[in-house]
Parts: sequence; structure tokens; C-alpha cells
Amino acid sequence: MSTNRHPIEQEELMAYLDGELPADEATEALSHLELCPECQTLVADFRDVSQELMAWEVESPEVGISSEINAALGERFQNREAVKASSPRWKTRVMTSRWVWAAALAVVCVVVGLTLTLIHRNRNEDRPTLISDGMPASGNSTAYPSMASIEQYLMPDRNAEIALARSAAPAAISSNAKVLVLGWRGYETAIEGRNGFVCVVERSWGLPFNSTEFWNPKVRAPMCFNPAAARSILPLTIKRTEMVLAGLSKAQMIDSIKAGFDSKELQVPEPGAMSYMMSRAGHLNDEVEHPLPHLMFYFPLTDKSSWGADLPDSPVTLNPQFQDGPEPITEFVIPVGRWSDGTAAPVM
Amino acid sequence: MTSDEALMLEFQRGSRAAFEELFARYRKPLHGFFGRRLNHPARAEDLTQETFLAVIRAVSRYEPRSLVRTYLYGIALKLLAAERRKVLTSSTVGQSAPEPTTDGTPEGVLWVRQAMEKLDAADREILMLREYEQLSYSDIAELLRIPINTVRSRLFRSRLALKSYLESEGKSNPALRASAWQSHPRRRGMQ
Repeated sequence: MSTNRHPIEQEELMAYLDGELPADEATEALSHLELCPECQTLVADFRDVSQELMAWEVESPEVGISSEINAALGERFQNREAVKASSPRWKTRVMTSRWVWAAALAVVCVVVGLTLTLIHRNRNEDRPTLISDGMPASGNSTAYPSMASIEQYLMPDRNAEIALARSAAPAAISSNAKVLVLGWRGYETAIEGRNGFVCVVERSWGLPFNSTEFWNPKVRAPMCFNPAAARSILPLTIKRTEMVLAGLSKAQMIDSIKAGFDSKELQVPEPGAMSYMMSRAGHLNDEVEHPLPHLMFYFPLTDKSSWGADLPDSPVTLNPQFQDGPEPITEFVIPVGRWSDGTAAPVM
Repeated sequence: MTSDEALMLEFQRGSRAAFEELFARYRKPLHGFFGRRLNHPARAEDLTQETFLAVIRAVSRYEPRSLVRTYLYGIALKLLAAERRKVLTSSTVGQSAPEPTTDGTPEGVLWVRQAMEKLDAADREILMLREYEQLSYSDIAELLRIPINTVRSRLFRSRLALKSYLESEGKSNPALRASAWQSHPRRRGMQ
């Protein structure tokens, strides 16, 4: 195969088959593959090789845990109990871990974008719902009692996740933005950006800890952060995701948030931090599948009267999540009249 | 299903059940890892158990920086290297290395093994980590401490070589090639 006649190298084609190409290059590879019989043959050959290798299976007898392992386990737990009795090591580790602080703050920041329904609905019974906190009025508290398998939170189609993330902001912004997608180990870069914005699809653990949908695997909340928010808000979201994937409990996260702000280890939002949530797609929670398009602005604690938030007919809403919470963050939400694709949104 | 990483952290916090779950998930894959590389079932099982012993001994230092899967294969690779050194030493002082077992091995498997043996050892390792352990390029690069582009280029070279070998052998011995297909009903494509 002459590489001069093909827009992608053979090695790249192999990487495409292995799922190792970035989304944009994978799209290019797929487009070429559909039209190139020569490359289709090569792909078929690679698949044949892979399939034939699978003939080599190793018979594995059913063997349980050996006596040596049992002994080692016994010794380990014995030692651990001894250490635990003399030193609260685990607690100390959790409480001083920077990434725990950071991840915990992410809760706050993501939650902001998802928790306004109740107050908004109370004030505006006749207006369409902007967003929701994922706490259905029906009180279905057992729908998602625990974390589902990680596969359920992942989007199998990487390109679909990229498109959904980008739909959070107008194309003039998101087409040049960096895009992250959720993988087995947390968020990873799918496409590098050029304008400092970062688009991402948040998952259910951005909801309040007491939300009945905290583990709802259907939640998909597309957001695009401006450069200031990408630096000060998004890293916390990423860390929070890592913490969730690592299996920390809600209690550990909550404790960490409180302690982190007390010790000044957690940072407040950078000046000018804001984000876009203008997608008509996604699934914020089971109650309000699609929010109305809106922008979110992040601040250190600010009096809501300075923005006229929550006043009659004011379009500005203060997220109530922070009113009684430990986080010194204020977030204002302002609905906008159009979806990210420029079409008109329902009147508020 | 609880993630491997969550299980590891639970084990770190003292959960025996979490360890047992990890053991159930990875005993067979690790046995396959050693089995294909050593072709000595008894040692493969020993080293599988040793891998879990190493996990127990090091669990207090575990941090969820990489997948548990990658972490386990990292330990396995170290044990494998030690085993190979041991075998080499034994051979040089007059003891014979264990003979590969072939009794009862399906022809198709023998054929694949022969094809793999034609590859450069480093290339073969990369190919096996990808095909059998299904590790990503970056995981393989991390484990073998080589650049990711090297992983890709060697993987490509291995697959082309294997394709060529399999084709030539298949042409000369179609019955053997057919048996390779028949011996594995759970064929899959590359991911």
C-alpha cells in the first residue's frame, strides 16, 4: 500500500482498530476505510491475526486461595489492627490528601449547575424548569442506592460523547475547545483545544450527596468551561471523578470538603470563571431530562443582592446549594434564550 | 459491579472480601499470562499465587494512579523476569529447564505458539500484552518503560510478521490452519 495515496498510515489504521486514535483521527480513518478496498483488506488481515491468536487458550484449573495467601492475609489484618489501635493513619491520609480536597470541591462546582429546580420552581410555578437537583418530589429514594458498574457511566461511542460535550456551547466556542471524555480511569483528553475552553459531559456524582440520583448512571450533563473556570473549576471536577472511581465514600468526601476549606487547601474560583450549559441534549436527572439553556458564573462568597438574584422577575438565580454549605462559593445562573445551535429555546 | 480500584482501596482498608473478589477476577487472567509465557502449568499457578502474595505485601503502599489491572500485570512481569533468570541460571549450572508441555495441546494452539516464537522477544511481549491481556498502548508503554510510539511501531511490525507467517503456514498446511479456527469458538476482533 502506498502511503502517498492514503491519508492515514497503516500503523494509524491499526491504532484505529485498537481504539487508540483520538476521535478526530478515528473519524478520518473510518471515512477513508469506508472508501478504500485496499485498507479494508489490511484491516481484515489484522482482524484475522487477532482472531487466530485467540486459539491459544490456557487451561486454568479451579484453584482457590492458597494457604500461603491465607496466612499472609491473616498477618496483614492482624498488623493492620495493631496499627489502627495506635494511630488513625487512614483518617489522617484521607484528611490531608490534596486530591481529596480538590475532588470534593468539584462536588460543589458541578452541583451548582444541577440544583436550581426547587427554588426556581417555587418562585416560578408557571415557568419552564431551568435545571433540577435530581431530587424527585416523588421521593423515589431507592432508585439508585449505590454506584452502578462503571460501564454504565461510560459512553460506548466516544464520538457521541465528544459531540454531546461540544453541544454545551455555540460551535464558535466549542469547535475550538478542548474536549474531555470519561474513561475507565477518569476524564481523558479526546481533542486538544485552541481557545482555552474545555467541554466535558459531567456524570451523576456532580449532584448533591443527598440526591436520590447521585448514582444515576443515565445522567449526562454537557458543559463548556471558559479558561478561568477550566483552570479553577474543572480540575476539581476531574479529581472528584477520580475519587469516585477510586471508591471513596460520600462521608469521606463531605468531611474532606469541610476540612479542606477550613485549612485553606481548597481554592475559590478564579475571577471571571463561568461555564456554558446550552445543550438541548443530555440528561440532567430523571425529573428534568433537558434543562433550559443557561450560563453559570462562579465567585467567592458574594451577596446575592449585588446581582439582584432571586428578585421578582430577575433572570438571575442564586444556587441555594451554597447557602448552608461549607463551600465559600457563590454561583449565579442566568438562562439564555437560545440553544447552542442558535435555535430559540422555550420562553422562561 | 464495584470497580477494581474501589476493591483495592477496600482491601487496603481491611476488607478480605474485596481481596477475594479481586482474586476471583484476576486469577485466571494471570494464570493465562504466566501459562502462555512459561508454558509450564504448575509454575504458572505458583506465580499466579505469588502475584497475589505480592499484592498483599504491598497493599499499604498502593495508590490508585493506574488501573489495578495494569498494576497486577506489572507485578506479574517482574515475577516472570525473575523466573526466567532462575531458569537460565539453572540451565547454566547443568539443570535442565522444564520442557514445554505439548501433550494434548490442540494443533491450532501449537501452530500459534510456533508463530509467536518466530517474533523478536520484545515484540512478542508487546503483542501478547495487547492481544491476551488487552492492555492499552499507554499501559504497555508504562509497564515496559518504553515510548508509546515504540509500542505502536513494534506492535505493527509483529502483526505484519505474524500475518505473513500465518498466511504462509496456512497455505502449506490448510488443515492445521483450519484447526486453529475450530479450536477457538470465541473468536473476537481487535478492539
